[in-house]
Amino acid sequence: MIGRQLRDFAVVAVLALIIATAAFVAVRNNELAARQIALAERAAAALRDHAELPPTVNAVIVSAATPSPRHPFLRKRQVLVGDRWQPLQDKLLYDAAMRFDREGAVSELLGDASGRALVARCTVDTRPCPRIAVALTSPARPAPYPFLVIIGVLGLGTALAAAGALLGPVARRGGLFAGAGALAVPALLWHAPVAATVILLLGAGVALAQQAALTDRIAAAMIKSRVALSFLTPAATAMFVLVAAPFAIGILLGFHDHHHGTWTFVGLSNFSEILSGGGHSLDDPLNFWFILGVTVLWTVANIVLHVTIGVALALALSRKWLVGRGVFRMLLILPWAIPNYITALIWHGMFEGEYGAINSLLRLFGLSDVSWFSSWATAFSADVIANTWLGFPFMMVVALGALETISPSLYEAASVDGANAWQRFRHITLPHLRPALGPAVALGSIWTFNMFNIIYLVSRGKPGNATNILVTDAYRWAFERGERYGMAAAYATIIFLILLVWTVFGTRMVRREEA
Amino acid sequence: MNALRLALLLAIGACGDGREPGVVLWHAYTGLERTALEQSAEHWNHAHPATPLVLVAVPYESFADKLTSAIPRGNGPDLFIYPHDRIGDWADAGTIEPLEFWVDDAHADRFSEQALAGMAYRGSLYGLPLAVKSLALYVRTDLVKTPPTTTDELFALAPAMQAKRGFALAYANVDLYGHAAWLHGFGGRVMDDQGTLTIATPEAADAMKFARKLVADGVAPADAGTPLVASLFNEGKAATAMSGPWFVAEIGKDVPWQVVTLPIVSPTGKPAAPFLGVEGILMSARAHDKQTAFAVIDELTSDAAATIRARVARQVVANTHAYDDPQIASDPILRPFRAQLDHTVAMPNFPAMRMVWTPYQTALGEVLSGRADPGTQLLAVEREVNGYLVGAK
Repeated sequence: MIGRQLRDFAVVAVLALIIATAAFVAVRNNELAARQIALAERAAAALRDHAELPPTVNAVIVSAATPSPRHPFLRKRQVLVGDRWQPLQDKLLYDAAMRFDREGAVSELLGDASGRALVARCTVDTRPCPRIAVALTSPARPAPYPFLVIIGVLGLGTALAAAGALLGPVARRGGLFAGAGALAVPALLWHAPVAATVILLLGAGVALAQQAALTDRIAAAMIKSRVALSFLTPAATAMFVLVAAPFAIGILLGFHDHHHGTWTFVGLSNFSEILSGGGHSLDDPLNFWFILGVTVLWTVANIVLHVTIGVALALALSRKWLVGRGVFRMLLILPWAIPNYITALIWHGMFEGEYGAINSLLRLFGLSDVSWFSSWATAFSADVIANTWLGFPFMMVVALGALETISPSLYEAASVDGANAWQRFRHITLPHLRPALGPAVALGSIWTFNMFNIIYLVSRGKPGNATNILVTDAYRWAFERGERYGMAAAYATIIFLILLVWTVFGTRMVRREEA
Repeated sequence: MNALRLALLLAIGACGDGREPGVVLWHAYTGLERTALEQSAEHWNHAHPATPLVLVAVPYESFADKLTSAIPRGNGPDLFIYPHDRIGDWADAGTIEPLEFWVDDAHADRFSEQALAGMAYRGSLYGLPLAVKSLALYVRTDLVKTPPTTTDELFALAPAMQAKRGFALAYANVDLYGHAAWLHGFGGRVMDDQGTLTIATPEAADAMKFARKLVADGVAPADAGTPLVASLFNEGKAATAMSGPWFVAEIGKDVPWQVVTLPIVSPTGKPAAPFLGVEGILMSARAHDKQTAFAVIDELTSDAAATIRARVARQVVANTHAYDDPQIASDPILRPFRAQLDHTVAMPNFPAMRMVWTPYQTALGEVLSGRADPGTQLLAVEREVNGYLVGAK
């Protein structure tokens, strides 16, 4: 009994220690910053009021900047010593005055982990400020980690939990909760009520789990499956680090706004900005719904062409009498084997107006040049052509595989019954292709929906952004519009939701049709 | 040895304790530029054995991201070499150290005014310039006897070139970087010194109309990308090409060419002024020994170091004193680019600039193809970028 109680308490204690330590670090840093900044602010105020300065603060009055006549951004400042202005020798004070001119009042703990606070205030009410009070405190260290307190409450908690276990089943749970309560005391002392509450809830949770015999069952199951768990752990860790964590972080980022490395929580405003079209009219290529329309059209056009061409070629290649089938197969799979951004760059060059291969070909046949990227229809067609080139081999390979599985006896029997070629295709080939093509279409549609390379490298959004799809617009939010990673993450979440709905309902529709 | 020392520095740095004295500098230089930088570093190390300069080559692709994430955590280099266009972001985020406290007029007078202006942001100076990059005019001497000095002379080259299905001028015209020469030549700007957008102005509209006329009159090809510019020039289908120092490597061996400054824009009488990219040494806000780090910057941007870089790597250096050296002054590449330097506009280093490129490019595409009117397109660009700026606050 007591062994199991200590086991449960150990789990609570480890988690509670992590929470309490995090709370302690945050609280003591905030406390240090507040204390030091208050000290510096007092010094700046004392300087303004000609009062006595606190002893550990270096506080001076700095003059306005005098720019060099030749280089306006080279400015000199002076410092008031007694009644006389002297050249300012301390760069920290100089930079603080510069920042004051740029941003207004400065109050901050220096970022160099020295614990020094810097404050800059104007001593008079005129602007630009002729006398800036700048105060810099001496270094200070935050309070040390209270190891003794922690060891004390751990001992107390263990004792409470053990005592409860000795008294009986109800007292056992009470003891566990009381032990957690002991661990919450330091957090309360550090004025971290949230952390204390979380620790108490944790204790209550584990106590309740103990009542339902959940802790015992989990422990027993873990011991029983320890070999399986040890095998699972490496892969599970990798999946967590590489898939689950980035995914969760990506979704969380969508609720934040990014500016110069700082993130602010903005709730749903990124999503509402995107879904409301961001103030652009519905026919504006920067409106989300316009882009979504283009993306859907792009996906549908591509999938139809990929499947039609892929199946037609597969049917041709499955003919036994075709000479050189192997060579054809290899040649037709080649577009798939070439990295798609290289293909995209080649197609972009071929669609080039003046010297591109396609226009040269058109000229050869006496046709006039097409300025491919100057109208929406031609630019969109250029993208679709390039992506069809990339996409049909996949459908062809899938269809070829499915065709191999159809027994020739079915066709023979149909022929005997007098079925013509179309009827044989309609009633034998197509039903056999469907189970293989269903998942291929689902997969292909997701790839096409997010086919960044072709859009970004072939039409490059021309004309006037009108051929952008959702994923290229998300990229632009992240890298061309002031690093608004929050907007890009919100975009990614929306894309994910659209594809999730499509996969769930799309596959269901296909299955229903099959049934 | 350097790698070992760096590993040691990093290991000590990771422990959070004091570290070996010295200055760590990250750069993305390769080839001769790296050799020249190493020569100057050796010179420093010889004179200052107590505070050695450690050069660390970092691939350019990951450079900015590494800095942005390393410096705020107290890691990363003391100094680094980077183009000036990120200064606004880094200064706003407190990643880089303002330097004007240490810089006096004597320091500043070494440099081209435009190059130094590129290092300034919101009234402070965040670096000292090493090298500059801008466009200039490459001329095929077999096709053009005297290089055009005005745009009217450029137009005059067109009929002869059109006769052989060629152009008088090839440049990346659906790109703000290529178009900027005309924009500034017509007196327009992308933004003012305070970072306020000045995109939709009559001057900018005139520049776009001029660029459209170049296409409509067959003087320049429509929608030319960088690869097309090179192949047109090499095939003799473009009499001139507007490009930067990197273009030299793309010119064919048998092509006779020379570089001259961009022509004067005839309608305004002002010289065409391309964007200037300035590569400078910046200091991390978390540099360990800032005083020494600045001394290193001072040394690496000195006349002697600039002369080494210009001689060894044929770098278009920002220190104008280097061009007093007769070998550098007579260099057929350095001389014209140095002359062009006086007629350039430092690319704005405000964060908003990075939001301008794509919308402006879209607008240029629409206008040059004759589909849209410059005035409305420029208004749309300004409105779009302002929309992003409101959101980014």
